[in-house]
Amino acid sequence: MTQVLLFFWVFSAACIVFSRKAYRVIIYFGVFSLITSVVYLALGAPDVAMSEAGISAFATIFFIVCIEQYYGRGEGLKSEAIASRRKIRVTFMKFVPAFLFTAGLFLLFVNSVPTGYAFTELRDQYLRMFMQDVGGENAVTAIYLGYRVYDTLFEALLLVIAVVAVTHVSWFSSEEVPDGQHSEIENSRMTKFTMRIICPIILLFGAYLIMNGHFTAGGGFLGGLAFASFFICRYLVLGIYDLPIKKVMKMEELVFINITILPIFAVFTGVVYLVADVTPLFQNIYLVAMSALVGMKVACGFFILFYRHIAIERLPADIDKKE
Amino acid sequence: MNLHIFDIFPIILFFISFFGLITTNNTMKSIVFIMLMQTAVIMFWVGVGARFGAQPPIIGDIAYLENPDAIADPLPQALMLTAIIIGIAVTAINITMLNALFRKYKTMNWQALQNLSSTEVEEDA
Repeated sequence: MTQVLLFFWVFSAACIVFSRKAYRVIIYFGVFSLITSVVYLALGAPDVAMSEAGISAFATIFFIVCIEQYYGRGEGLKSEAIASRRKIRVTFMKFVPAFLFTAGLFLLFVNSVPTGYAFTELRDQYLRMFMQDVGGENAVTAIYLGYRVYDTLFEALLLVIAVVAVTHVSWFSSEEVPDGQHSEIENSRMTKFTMRIICPIILLFGAYLIMNGHFTAGGGFLGGLAFASFFICRYLVLGIYDLPIKKVMKMEELVFINITILPIFAVFTGVVYLVADVTPLFQNIYLVAMSALVGMKVACGFFILFYRHIAIERLPADIDKKE
Repeated sequence: MNLHIFDIFPIILFFISFFGLITTNNTMKSIVFIMLMQTAVIMFWVGVGARFGAQPPIIGDIAYLENPDAIADPLPQALMLTAIIIGIAVTAINITMLNALFRKYKTMNWQALQNLSSTEVEEDA
């Protein structure tokens, strides 16, 4: 079973590497992400599996936006035709040294990887103590909100930087993005009906993940991804681009400041790490508040990323030349 | 050399995508390959702390603690959870820069981009 799953995992990746068509790359990438999630789940990492499944949806959207530009305006077809007429000798001269180089690096790397099963004392310490130290029943949440909360702070900071970079690069001179139907799928009443049923369920699921992140698999990241996917569904149903992007960015910065303040406050008042004085109620309040803040942060970040990519696709190609 | 299967497969995947990265001409495919390399590294670290069929580190019951070797290591999972989110943010930046590049030069070929940029430098000088 293990070998079969891992073999298909590497096989789908090899399909991505050796496929020539850009749309096929996206399809194979979806298959690859699905198998990756299954393997994570089998390895006993449900949080990682769910976040992999969540981000693969966003990655697919980003790549499709990229490809739509490429093929939608007829520019890419020419260079594709040139590429398919490459001579075999040139291909041979290019691929063989690359293959030898990669194989040599692979052998060197495999020889230097340390072997052995890494059950450390730190793991036993975490598994024994996290229920008293941080609270909750999920050790993963306890680590990234308690023991290693500064990692989470820097992750949130990196997400802020990513959002700022994306908005800066894609900030065209015209801020008004036209509304309108995106494709013919939106005209189907079936799709609208289905989305209208699914959307509240997605919101409920996101709230469940945030509230129960410290008891089951879930937490701030996954709840934030679920909330952001709600906005994708909303865009698909209504087809309007009415995003107050500057307000959302301001809100994201405010949430980030709260994320930095709350753990420091919690550490100094002894909610985390001080066993004797603190009841589990305060620990649970801290964990849920922190999960909600991280969830809001991730939801705002992915909301902005998604809508900026939609703006890239919807704006006409020569928008900068008009001004 | 007795590497476990969860150590060897991510390394194979990493080097397959590395091979793709140094042989491709398409800018979008190189971003996909960078994402594959991230996934390989994440799978390696998740596989270090657990074996197939391990229990997730969610301890609601004290009975789990009687057999602690069956529980997966929570530390790599917590670190890789943040690494995944950072990875998608980096991918989003990459794709946005790629879109800006495509808007300016109307091509997605590294070779053509290199030729274009060298001619542009000569014109500027």
